[in-house]
Amino acid sequence: MIEFMLNGEQVTFNGDPETPLLWVIRDSFKLKGSKFGCGAGLCGACTMHLDGTAMKTCVLPIAAVAGKTVTTIEGLGTPDSMHPLQQAWVEHNVPQCGYCQSGQIMTAAALLAASPDASEADIDTAMAGNICRCGCYPRIKGAIQSVATHTLGYDAMAEEVAS
Amino acid sequence: MSTQILSRRHFLKSSALVGGGVVVAVTLPGCSFDGELPIDAADAALVPNAFLQITPDNKIVFYCPADEMGQGIRTGLATVIGEELDCHPSNMTVEAAGSHEDYNNPEFGLQLTGGSSAVRVFYEPLRQVGADTRALILAAAARDLGIPAAQLSTDNGHVIAGDQRYPYGDFVATAATLEMPTETPVKDASAFKYIGTHFARIDAEAKATGTASFGIDVDLPDMVYAVVLRSPVAGAKAVRFDDEAARRQPGVQTIVPVSSGIAVVADSYWQANQAAKKLTVEWEDVALTAVDSTRVRADLSAALDADDGVEAASEGDFEAGLAAAANTQSAEYFAPFLAHAPMEPVNATLRIEGDRADLWTGVQVVGAAQGLLERLTGLPRENIRVHNQYLGGGFGRRATLTHVVEVTEIAMATGKPVQVLWSREDDLRHGVYRPASLMRLEAGIDADGKVTAWQAQRAGGNVTPETLENALPALLPSMPEGLLGGLHGAVDFIFGNWAVDHPSVEGLYETYSMPTHTITHTTVDHGLPLTFWRSVGHSYSGFAVESMMDELAVSAGLDPVALRLKNLEDKPRMRRVVQRAGELMAAMEVPEGHHLGFASHSSFFTDVAEIAEVSVTDGKIRVHKVTCVVDCGTAINPDTVRAQLEGGVMFALTAALYGEIDLDKGAVVQSNFHDYPILRMDEAPAIEIDIIDNGTAPTGIGEPGVPPLAPAVANAVFRATGQRLRELPLRLA
Repeated sequence: MIEFMLNGEQVTFNGDPETPLLWVIRDSFKLKGSKFGCGAGLCGACTMHLDGTAMKTCVLPIAAVAGKTVTTIEGLGTPDSMHPLQQAWVEHNVPQCGYCQSGQIMTAAALLAASPDASEADIDTAMAGNICRCGCYPRIKGAIQSVATHTLGYDAMAEEVAS
Repeated sequence: MSTQILSRRHFLKSSALVGGGVVVAVTLPGCSFDGELPIDAADAALVPNAFLQITPDNKIVFYCPADEMGQGIRTGLATVIGEELDCHPSNMTVEAAGSHEDYNNPEFGLQLTGGSSAVRVFYEPLRQVGADTRALILAAAARDLGIPAAQLSTDNGHVIAGDQRYPYGDFVATAATLEMPTETPVKDASAFKYIGTHFARIDAEAKATGTASFGIDVDLPDMVYAVVLRSPVAGAKAVRFDDEAARRQPGVQTIVPVSSGIAVVADSYWQANQAAKKLTVEWEDVALTAVDSTRVRADLSAALDADDGVEAASEGDFEAGLAAAANTQSAEYFAPFLAHAPMEPVNATLRIEGDRADLWTGVQVVGAAQGLLERLTGLPRENIRVHNQYLGGGFGRRATLTHVVEVTEIAMATGKPVQVLWSREDDLRHGVYRPASLMRLEAGIDADGKVTAWQAQRAGGNVTPETLENALPALLPSMPEGLLGGLHGAVDFIFGNWAVDHPSVEGLYETYSMPTHTITHTTVDHGLPLTFWRSVGHSYSGFAVESMMDELAVSAGLDPVALRLKNLEDKPRMRRVVQRAGELMAAMEVPEGHHLGFASHSSFFTDVAEIAEVSVTDGKIRVHKVTCVVDCGTAINPDTVRAQLEGGVMFALTAALYGEIDLDKGAVVQSNFHDYPILRMDEAPAIEIDIIDNGTAPTGIGEPGVPPLAPAVANAVFRATGQRLRELPLRLA
């Protein structure tokens, strides 16, 4: 039995400890916002926060999550209460197919939580692990930069990390 | 391609009915299928046609006939119908249409999303549906309010009478009793409120919060998960298999052979995936088993050497044109097989219960998916519902339905709701591919740069036979397998021997006025499954033609933009695009060590020119910036036009720098993003877009941004290094 915090709630998982966190979240906890893209940690569609750090979860065994805190896109913000980055995503019309965007946003949120004034080079480095096949990169970058220079963003992100 | 303008009558044949029950379309003679509309009507709602539902509490639902794969079509067509209905697209609920012939793409006669066609072909019909429905609501309001319709107006889903605002929903009961108006005049473009304006995509919020539902997200009670082990070589069947070890794996329920391989069914995807690795399967040898990339290339060369291609287009006397030229060039250009690699691997979820089947998936061919289920299950078509979800990328990949066949076979074998999910390895190794192409061009220009002779020979596979082979069983669900087999053979023979499959040669000369041209084609088919890949034939023809135009300009010492303008004298729209792009290029301040390359290409009725700013350091090509000029007619959502060009550039740049599917003993070598790399943010160029909108009818935008990119980059690389790269992906010597 593996216990961990999921979006602010204590949860337990009783299956195979080798099961990647992504599939535990999607199939056992029915949170479908985190996506399967490569199964090899190469594309970032599955990115969640593990104790506040962006992690590729398609290759992370659930055993490694015991006692830790997991935040998924659903825990970051909801349509009624969006995280500043999610608002920026809408304002910049970032998504096309949208499939990779949960992972993009989770990576960006971890970056800005750690470096609220991230430079363009910081953003390029942090986001290089997230593939967008539709090629929304200029808008993803623009949305992140708009939050990185936006005071409103800092407080909300600080709260998210604390939770 | 035949062009058929859909009559208003056809679109509006369903009578206005009050919902709460089933909605029945009125049967017209000659229609093959006229079942219930796949619409769940709310109590007392008005369903005036296949595209709209208006509820008494004024929920306005638009059933979008084109599939949303990122191209923004739900927003685009909601804007078109909303403009005339007078309802802001953001205030409409937009749902994917189910399968019904009323949703057929009027040009293809199929419910197919592709060819950058949706806005172009639905623009007039959906405006008419919107205008007629608004007129119906106004007539009902006039009756209910006792005010002449002429004294009423509308605003964003409301009828305005003096200073009173009444929701459309107030009038649906009366509207349902009235005759549907027809041929209501549509707006003049000067009166547009929503078309051409900027607002958020209607799916932006769902996609930013992880709440948008893709096929992979569908989760049914008691659902089982299936992973299929397929032959490394396309088309090879399993001769024998040993599933003893796999059956002992945790969570495994059963293992069933299916037409594409061996399916492992388990309690979870992860368990099915782990167990599938324990299967041992012996596959038959097929002709493709003997093929590797070197042989593909050699076979294409040999085919062109034979110089006996089928004529696709010919005008004027090529030899005389060549003799009249002041300058001639000949060169050979190559483009490899490519995979689409959409971020969401293909998947499908099926529940068969009694005499009803429900399929959840994300495909570009909803009607064909329904037809396929009809063929495989034997259920009546009206009992089969296709719930198309958001597509996690399409690019042509989701017009092939192998996964739908698999899920149906597994659901029938197990009797349980099943989800089939492909891995990334499955996607890259067992998919359908952009054909490899070898093109030989020979051209001559006069002293002013006017093309006097143009010849293009292409060798490679064809996409139409393969696509038909996949689609025919679905489109003709009641045709027996034997007859279908004969039909496939006939199609292969026709395109292999005496007809040219248009996508194989499209774009090899049409952008310019080239009065003397000869285009020939030789089919070389190795048996690798082929299909449409974003911009189809233009994805390689654009590279060949625009590289050759640059070679001609360089060899004659002419300006590349001036050379193109010289050959666009009776193509005014593209001429304006090239002119504008040339002005932008002339004004660019190019940093030391950076070089510009130019290319322009017409595809899907849209004209695009692109300028790539490139540097080459230590043999590595870096694209810093791409400037695009486009004329796609009326830009329904200008920001979507920009997004599609941005995306088209990135998609094409991935192909130009990295894209390559190799074969070894008939099997695809590449398996995941480490060996089939996709452009990442730190490699992405800045992009500037200039839209020319002269208010003409809208044309395609999903694909036309792709073709000019690779040649623009290659032309810049030539200026940076002196090396003329004639093969994709671009690799410096």
